Amino acid sequence: MASAADCGGKPLQNAMKMAKVAIQLDGGSKHKEAYCEYLRTINYISHALLEEAAPQQEREVVVVVVEVERMLRLAEQCLERAKSFIEKSADPLDLSAAASCSPAQSEPHQTTDLPVATAADTGTSPTKTGHRRSVSDGGGEPPPFLPPDVFQKLQTEESHDTSKKELTPIEQASRLNQKLKANYEARLARLPPGQANQKTSLKLSLQRQMMENLIIAKARQDALQRKMEERRLRLQEEANRRFSASGAMTAEEQEQRSLYTNVLEYEQDHDWPKLWKANMEGNPEDVTLVSRLVSYLLSRSDHPVVKLLRKHQYRVYNRLYPIVSKGRSRALLLRPAPPPETQRRSLSTVSFSTGLASPPSRDFHADSDEEGEEPHTQASVDRENSFEDLEQFLTQLDWTPPDGSAEDAVSESEPTCDPSTLSEVQGQEMRALKEHLKATVKDIHIAIDQLLSLCLLSFECLNTSSSKDLCLASIEEAFFTPLWSALLTLFRKVNMEREQAFETSMTLYQDASPGDIGVPLKLFPQEPDALQGSYPYESAVQELKLLLNDCCPQKKLECIVRTLRVICACAEDYRCLHEGDSAHRTAAIGADDLLPILSYVALRSQCPQLLSECAALEEFIHEGYLIGEEGYCLTSLQSALAYVESLHSAAAPPPEDKLG
Amino acid sequence: MAAGGAGGNSGKTYSFKVVLLGEGCVGKTSLVLRYCENKFNDKHITTLQASFLTKKLNITGKRVNLAIWDTAGQERFHALGPIYYRDSNGAILVYDITDEDSFQKVKNWVKELRKMLGNEICLCIVGNKVDLDKDRHVSVEEAESYSESVGAKHYHTSAKLNKGIEELFLDLCKRMMETAQAEERLKGNGASQSASSRRGVQIVDDEPQATPAGGCCSSG
Repeated sequence: MASAADCGGKPLQNAMKMAKVAIQLDGGSKHKEAYCEYLRTINYISHALLEEAAPQQEREVVVVVVEVERMLRLAEQCLERAKSFIEKSADPLDLSAAASCSPAQSEPHQTTDLPVATAADTGTSPTKTGHRRSVSDGGGEPPPFLPPDVFQKLQTEESHDTSKKELTPIEQASRLNQKLKANYEARLARLPPGQANQKTSLKLSLQRQMMENLIIAKARQDALQRKMEERRLRLQEEANRRFSASGAMTAEEQEQRSLYTNVLEYEQDHDWPKLWKANMEGNPEDVTLVSRLVSYLLSRSDHPVVKLLRKHQYRVYNRLYPIVSKGRSRALLLRPAPPPETQRRSLSTVSFSTGLASPPSRDFHADSDEEGEEPHTQASVDRENSFEDLEQFLTQLDWTPPDGSAEDAVSESEPTCDPSTLSEVQGQEMRALKEHLKATVKDIHIAIDQLLSLCLLSFECLNTSSSKDLCLASIEEAFFTPLWSALLTLFRKVNMEREQAFETSMTLYQDASPGDIGVPLKLFPQEPDALQGSYPYESAVQELKLLLNDCCPQKKLECIVRTLRVICACAEDYRCLHEGDSAHRTAAIGADDLLPILSYVALRSQCPQLLSECAALEEFIHEGYLIGEEGYCLTSLQSALAYVESLHSAAAPPPEDKLG
Repeated sequence: MAAGGAGGNSGKTYSFKVVLLGEGCVGKTSLVLRYCENKFNDKHITTLQASFLTKKLNITGKRVNLAIWDTAGQERFHALGPIYYRDSNGAILVYDITDEDSFQKVKNWVKELRKMLGNEICLCIVGNKVDLDKDRHVSVEEAESYSESVGAKHYHTSAKLNKGIEELFLDLCKRMMETAQAEERLKGNGASQSASSRRGVQIVDDEPQATPAGGCCSSG
């Protein structure tokens, strides 16, 4: 019930205030201003609702459903009023002037109005969800992660310029009609005043023309659709033959088949796939052709492979967003937990604020169910007064949350709680985060498998083991690049404690020499002169830091391999300094030397997030690379990082080991 | 890089991962370098030197890619040991015949490997530095009977004299191939199976010393 008052009450009241202003203007026959004010109200409502709805759980939406309903109805009524202006308006020029003035007016209006609303919000209720908090915080600084719908839009826009869509007949007709209307308006404006007769005839002829255009377009559209339908059926049969339809199909097979139908359909409309296929057949030795084909394919935003890619990216991002965008909700969780009687509610708040798909335990689930019950009945009392029109909203303008006092009680008793419940909540949250991480990783694997197989279905010529690897690499790069930072944020949340341990070691061993970490003396220069102002293995440290800049697992792995190679080269150089040029080759660097050096390099990098990066890489490294050089280097780095992590608890680096 | 661990289809390339375990001074680095050394290129140094090496072999007409993973012998890096041996097909556990302690360490590793990987993994226990036989502290009988008791094979090598090393690796490869083939049979992939069983597992010695082309070293 706290959340009901919290989430719905304030925006609703603000919206009602705005609507009231509009109605007053409306009543005072200030049409232009009233029109703008109605639009502003709608704008505010949709903004507020969007903020509420996007990252939240269904359950909580149920809680505030009454408020949402009211807001929507208010918006509807404002829209009705706004529409009525257009219909009433005798002079269209007048209105267009009003519309054009509105953005300029509304801009300062909004910036003054909205923050006030949210500021008032923060002031009154201390037990708000993390979400509300982030909304009010969001005013000052830009949020680090884009909301999923914006993310999706950006993703599609990115590749949009490469393909111009053809207009459908209906779209063409509506363009034509817009032109007609503009002509009509221009003619009307030229008309001397008082010629009502002329006006009507012009208007009638416009309407007739527009109608005709639409009817023709509709007929063309229908014909086209029938044709497309027939073609689709034909292609579907082709796809069925390809998959040798027999027996029961799994849902995945069915999905793949329909995707393949889309590919066939695409190929009917576009020539480039055929040309590329011929090109590939003609030049089987040209290895660059594969990468070029795949990157060309990925640039065609209307190709089914790319559409599928965007779909999966959006899905994954949607999964990540509620969690990674709530960096600030940590603060909420770290506050002392409320005492037992209110604990239940705060538990459910916690789970919502992290936006997890599944509460970690059954009991937990039941609790939040109970919680949901109460405000619902509470709210349904309000629902009884069904409001028929705008005026009735306004009578409720001074409506206050009925449970404001309960909220106060909660906030007062909050500090008196024991820390054990806190760690319990955190433990539960961590378990849920880990579950979420696992599910996300699985989704990504499925998505990439599906993308690769659709890619290979579309271009059979890619189905050789080497081309397949290249193809996969390109797909992964396209897939991961926009997602990595969000994905890493989730990994960092899960690995927070490890990163903190790493950081502690980092500060403790800030000035450690390689020898302190167990690097044999012969493998680094002791005299500072030899280093010319830097420190040993600096080039390897620089190389390792570059890993954070890459956005796809393959590139990151390559960076780790380069780091280890640089280490080996440096070690070789340093040994030559000690032994002169006659260094015998048999004394090459083995793991006994490599790991201490790598630990030193990891320590000097001062990047605790390397732990999370490696944890993520471990999930996404290809099987084929796992036993190769990439796998070895990743394993070594993980081992070194774990050693650094453990350094601070070991007080001093153990010198007891025999060093090769 | 060929995907997947052991196996593949009739063109067959086996990819095996071998971990190298042993205390700091037992000479595992020299051992593996000796094995992968390119006799025709003196200047040859791999990019990761002795820590990670690959070798391509041809055994009874089948291609084998070996990836040899060196591990750190120091106690303090052992916490992460399991992520090194994961998915290994074979392990080479090296001790110094003049150092009783290094043999005890080998016993610990055997226990851990069996615990983590079961009987899938082919174990080789290697007494290195046989050129120093006069200082021997681990008796041949003890080492061999222990090895037998844990299902491992025992070898004697000298990295210094280049003794016993080729035999060790060749033997290990054959055993890993047998294990992989047995696994395939269990899985029962029919078509490719008939071909491989017709050829049989009769292994003609590759004579690696005489045919260096089969044992060229690739920089991993």
